[in-house]
Amino acid sequence: MSQVEKKAGLLRRTSSSKKPLKEKVVLMYDEIFAKEDPAKNNPRFWDELFLMKVNLEYLESKLESVDGEEVQRIQDNINSLFHHCVQALGEEHQIKVVNALQTLCALFRGVHQKNKSASGFDIINMLMGFDKAEQRMKDLMERLDSLLCGDGSESLKSLCLKLLLCLVTVTDNISQNTILEYVMINSIFEAILQILSDVSSRGQHGYDAVVLLALLVNYRKYESVNPYIVKLSIVDDEPTLDVSMLQYKDKEEENQGGFFSTLTSMVGSMFIADADEKLSVQTNEAILLALYEAVHLNRNFITVLAQSHPEMDIPTTPTTPTPTTPTTPLGTTPPSLDMMNNPELPLDPNLQTSNLLITFLKYASIVMQDTKDEHRLNSARLCLIILTCIAEDQYADAFLHDDNMNFRVNLHRMPMRHRKKAVDKNIPSRPLVCASTNLLRHHSLCFLCRRCVQIIHKLLCYQKKCRIRLHYTWRELWSALINLLKFLLSNETTLLAKHNIFQLALLVVNLFNMFITYGDTFLPTSNSYDELYYEIVRMHQVFDNLYCMVLRVSTNTGQWKEAASKVTHALVNVRAIVNHFNPKIESYAAVNHISQLSEEQVLEVVRSNYDTLTLKLQDGLDQFERYSEQPKEAAFFKELVRSISLNVRKNVSLNTLSQDVLLKEFSTIS
Amino acid sequence: MADAEVSLSPALRPLHLSPSHSAPPPPPASSSSPTTFSCPSSPSSASSSSSSSSSSSCSESSSDCPVHHHHHHHHLRPQLQLPPPPHSEQPSSPSASPRSSSPSGSIGSTGSLGSSASEGIGSSGMSSGADARGPSPPLDIISEDAMEMDLGVDQEVALKACQEVLLKVKLQNREVPEHPDTNAPPSARPESSSLLSAASASKQSWLLRLFESKLFDVSMAISYLYKSKEPGVQAYIGNRLFSFPDSEVDFYLPQLLNMYVHMDTEVGDAIRPYLIYRCTGGITFSLLTAWLLGAYSSDMHISTQRHSRGTKLRKLILSDELKPSASSFSPGDPTPDSPTPGEGFVSPSRRTHQRSKSDATTAGSGPGSGLRRTGSNPKGEAVHEEPERLRPQRELVKSLLGIGKRLATLPTKEQKTHRLISELSMLNHKLPARVWLPTAERQHHVCRIPNTQAVVLNSKDKAPYLIYVEVLECESFETSPVPVRIPETRIRSARSAENLDCGVAAHRAGSFSTVPNYDNDDEAWATDDIGQLQVEVEAKTSSSDNISQFSVDSITSLESKEPIFIAAGDIRRRLSENLAHTPTTFRRDPEDPSAVALKEPWQEKVRRIREGSPYGHLLNWRLLSVIVKCGDDLRQELLAYQVLRQLQSIWQQERVPLWIKPYKILVMSLDSGMIEPVLNAVSLHQVRKQSQLSLLDYFLQEHGSFTTEAFLTAQRNFVQSCAGYSLICYLLQVKDRHNGNILLDSEGHIIHIDFGFILSSSPRNLGFETSAFKLTAEFVDVMGGLDGDMFIYYKMLMLQGLIAARKHMEKVLQIVEIMQQGSHLPCFHGSSTIRGLKERFHMSLTEEQLQLLVEQLVDGSMRSITTKLYDSFQYVTNGIM
Repeated sequence: MSQVEKKAGLLRRTSSSKKPLKEKVVLMYDEIFAKEDPAKNNPRFWDELFLMKVNLEYLESKLESVDGEEVQRIQDNINSLFHHCVQALGEEHQIKVVNALQTLCALFRGVHQKNKSASGFDIINMLMGFDKAEQRMKDLMERLDSLLCGDGSESLKSLCLKLLLCLVTVTDNISQNTILEYVMINSIFEAILQILSDVSSRGQHGYDAVVLLALLVNYRKYESVNPYIVKLSIVDDEPTLDVSMLQYKDKEEENQGGFFSTLTSMVGSMFIADADEKLSVQTNEAILLALYEAVHLNRNFITVLAQSHPEMDIPTTPTTPTPTTPTTPLGTTPPSLDMMNNPELPLDPNLQTSNLLITFLKYASIVMQDTKDEHRLNSARLCLIILTCIAEDQYADAFLHDDNMNFRVNLHRMPMRHRKKAVDKNIPSRPLVCASTNLLRHHSLCFLCRRCVQIIHKLLCYQKKCRIRLHYTWRELWSALINLLKFLLSNETTLLAKHNIFQLALLVVNLFNMFITYGDTFLPTSNSYDELYYEIVRMHQVFDNLYCMVLRVSTNTGQWKEAASKVTHALVNVRAIVNHFNPKIESYAAVNHISQLSEEQVLEVVRSNYDTLTLKLQDGLDQFERYSEQPKEAAFFKELVRSISLNVRKNVSLNTLSQDVLLKEFSTIS
Repeated sequence: MADAEVSLSPALRPLHLSPSHSAPPPPPASSSSPTTFSCPSSPSSASSSSSSSSSSSCSESSSDCPVHHHHHHHHLRPQLQLPPPPHSEQPSSPSASPRSSSPSGSIGSTGSLGSSASEGIGSSGMSSGADARGPSPPLDIISEDAMEMDLGVDQEVALKACQEVLLKVKLQNREVPEHPDTNAPPSARPESSSLLSAASASKQSWLLRLFESKLFDVSMAISYLYKSKEPGVQAYIGNRLFSFPDSEVDFYLPQLLNMYVHMDTEVGDAIRPYLIYRCTGGITFSLLTAWLLGAYSSDMHISTQRHSRGTKLRKLILSDELKPSASSFSPGDPTPDSPTPGEGFVSPSRRTHQRSKSDATTAGSGPGSGLRRTGSNPKGEAVHEEPERLRPQRELVKSLLGIGKRLATLPTKEQKTHRLISELSMLNHKLPARVWLPTAERQHHVCRIPNTQAVVLNSKDKAPYLIYVEVLECESFETSPVPVRIPETRIRSARSAENLDCGVAAHRAGSFSTVPNYDNDDEAWATDDIGQLQVEVEAKTSSSDNISQFSVDSITSLESKEPIFIAAGDIRRRLSENLAHTPTTFRRDPEDPSAVALKEPWQEKVRRIREGSPYGHLLNWRLLSVIVKCGDDLRQELLAYQVLRQLQSIWQQERVPLWIKPYKILVMSLDSGMIEPVLNAVSLHQVRKQSQLSLLDYFLQEHGSFTTEAFLTAQRNFVQSCAGYSLICYLLQVKDRHNGNILLDSEGHIIHIDFGFILSSSPRNLGFETSAFKLTAEFVDVMGGLDGDMFIYYKMLMLQGLIAARKHMEKVLQIVEIMQQGSHLPCFHGSSTIRGLKERFHMSLTEEQLQLLVEQLVDGSMRSITTKLYDSFQYVTNGIM
């Protein structure tokens, strides 16, 4: 059989000159997919192969088209190809290295494409041979490592990263990519960090490196020990972190510049329709994920969040192109190198200092404006998770509340008919926690309101414990919270079908309880305590309705019985306040013959009647559930990583480096 | 001995003569005042004054001599380590003091009693050899080796020369047979000796005896250096400088350098060896000298400036060729593996490879790398250690000044503040380093700048700013190893690392086995940050509280079996009480960011910053602060500081309880420098704007009601400081006294700052502020009104202060006079600056007349509407209340 085929092949090659001439490389691929060892007749076969320009499409399609039986037959050759690819990576001849890298890409992709359902072990067997897999992958990773860390061509490094990205994203679910087990054993974490810490390479490969890291961290993060998680969690070298993350921030900011300029010119809905923007939302998912992993895993990173640096004010004219170069004077150069003598920091009066946290808050405010799109919803959710982590960190809290660090944070809100667009210049400069609270307050009516309320709760707990009296107009928060309750009440039936709204209601009521019973520890003025009562009494109807509702549900037997009864108990103080002051106010009005009491008059009544009111001290108001990724968020992250993987796979283009460019580059080297 | 003690503390009676006083020129008018004692070098007054002086060393009465000799030994402990002498003739020293066996003493006696003639010849030969190099060492010769040689020889030769001079003098003046030329100052080239001997013998003996006496202090030395035209005397004093304690000479460094820059060659040559010697010894002195030289040379014409002595010496210092030889002094640079164990540094073992590599590659690239962190980088250190002796500090100063310059271009305070904070955070990346704050007393390394605490100060068009600096004290900042950098979140990171590391190890062993569910999530966040914090905070506040705490406990213990009830009224009351009890803080004002920062009590601030610092746990941790000023000439400030310091020590010496607070000034160039901030003090303007109270009401608010001890103490402090500064303002003619320039500290003292307009200069020449000093009705109110005891006390203090100051007038005048040399400072404008200053001491008035004068001054200042007028002028133009 083989004899026949070979003859046919020979015949074809010699006689069928009419057929379109095949590339040499394609012919060589064909030889690999033949049964025989291609090097048998031509000892220099592999040498020659890697001198040829790779034909990715052909190789991939060839691999895909191999059917089940053939696999067994050609496995040796494929193993051999893989082996020689790895060998070629060590070649001095750069062209060979490039071709080997690309061939490897094609191999990984093609084999996975072919064996979508196959187990990881089969794939490994087909690529490397099971017995040799460990050694092969070790060699591969070592070679990649030295390529990435060496002082070779930047294009080569880029290609290495692309290969790794390609390898990491061949499966939809990253955790099913068994080959990555070898990437775990042979860690390239240090190489990635080095890429990020080097000035020039960071500029060129920063994005790929960060995404790669973010993905690797997510490989089987719940089932096994992922060394990348471990390593990321213990990086404590501030400059490295700083460097990597500042870069990373630049990326984000660049994208954001796009957002901002678009935003100022278009209304929110149009900006969804924009295909490019949508793409960048998805790209940002990967960056946000990396930010999350950094914040979540590495506590040192929190300090980096707080590092400030100058920031460009986003141009308000839509025509202005995204500022690329001026935004990065700090980001592109490691601080240890030139900060001391860098007098060229842009000295624009419009320039405001910023830090990663501010940028993040701004970004979050944009993302959270419109959460209809799935990607945006994901991003918004991720933003809030990050904010949760931040709110739980003591250092970050200290920074957020630092009275000495005042910033103007331009939060973006949906333009609405009744709400005029805020005039940017008049935003007061305040500690960042005000901005965070504002951000959360603005979004207390969206899908993610529960998370917002939780974060506010965490911030309040910090303030109570550290006795920080934030000069914040708490009234705005109170009315936002009451509006949230109103919303829950009016949409009770629809919401109850899907959610446990009582849990949320309990959170909100307990926030009020915190203000009522612990207000003395963190309210800024005595007046603000009076205002709290005023607000509760003024909006007593909402609380009355809520009480009726929870009472009704808790008396019925049903799945919400217990949850609702908790809210009933939590409402005891609010109800006491309402029941205590309402008659007092009414009688005051009656005695003084006033039909409509002014705010000052009500406050006066409140002030003079505190002493006859007794409140019940409730337990656990300042206790909160600490954030934990597992199990609650695991599914979310799984999906997120899948979506990022798909997106990266789609966008990893090995062709960005055209052969011509490479040839030109290498012609000077070799 | 006992006698001497008495004569050293003459402050008992105001009119008692202070022995440590010398005044070369005769006092103006032939005063009958016994306070002056003029030196024999001025013949006109020599006889009269010496006879009137009761305890002068120049007195003929030989009974004084032994007393002084005792002190001689104490006072002039040789600064130079002279070679140990043969002890054979020890007993010849007449001194009974146990310290009399000091080496130089015995040498001196050996010389005098031994073979005098031959030794004299021998030594003269030797010293003439030294002479060739001594007076005018060519600049280019001074290289490392030459310097060493020079110094080595110099001391010995100087000693010999001294002996010789003294011998000759003795031979000529037999009337002092027992002169025990102990502690011969290492000095006097033959040139000087010949000159001395050429002059009249008796006069020489006077001068020499004065120079050798215990009364001869730095102040006198400087004075003679400035006044004497005789090269011999100048050279002698130049050598004599070596024998004074460094710290005493340092006070007169501006004078020395100004003389070096602006006076004739002889003076320069006399000072130069000392300067070179000190520069070789220390980085601090080198840099201070270089900065001052730069500043003082700048008044010269640009063409002469370039070739002037000062500029050349400055270049020499900055070229860093003046450094100790490697054998005697090697700043051991720390390797990361050997941090000083005693100082509790954390080993940087976990530093990644990449980092140190990148450090090494950046070493020496661009001026910024000089301040590179040293601890982590053995490779770069080894190579660049030598030329970097001065560089880290210069880089620090350069970048701090650079920040100031850039800040000045920003329009609003807020932008400036943000900018400042972010620039400082960049600076932090390079700390700790071998850098220090020159204003500090103790040796240290700067380890961190808590950048968020920095504030921009109020200034109309410049941008001075205040930074707090964390330092670690050390033995010697030049030789002690630089502390190792501790990352901001050191403690926090340690835990997660250890936990997860073992996980990796386990995992790596079996390549494919899936490790059973390792919930890193829980691990990584197991330690509850806020929980820990809570414990801390509550431990701290537990005494003062309250239901809120109680509830925390109740969660665990009571399990809400019995509901706890609280009264709403209690919560409300606690809130207002809590708010009232927090120490009065100032409101945050974006236009005046420094107000809040300065109002915070220093101890409180130190505690707060220490808690937040990764270095805070180290025992040698200290917090310092400094004001960086760009675009202002601080030379006048420096002059004012010196005068204030001088008056302060005069008043201390005379036991007059006047209180002033001279703050250190560091001149770094013609238009930049640093200022030591006054702690716990805010300006009267800030007080008024923030509190909206009168000064008296503010005192009552801060310190308690009239009869409380706290208030009375504060009031006394206020009066004593007012009196002190009233005199200062009068004597120095300090102008521009608006409320922004007067600080009030937490103890009630006022402190005047900003001496931009003193002596002959006045702001804008508007003729405002004709009053002698600022004394507003508000001030008088705090003192308890015009008829109060405290106001009388105030006037009495001023009188006492003036009498004391006048007694030591020369010491004050001298500082100002020398600085006038070659200076174009506005305070020296016109020809009558010194004369005017001198006149304000009113040497000719009797005490009764002086008292009248004080009354007049106080009266005039109080009545003067110009103070008020000036305040409103300031309000209109600068918004200062």
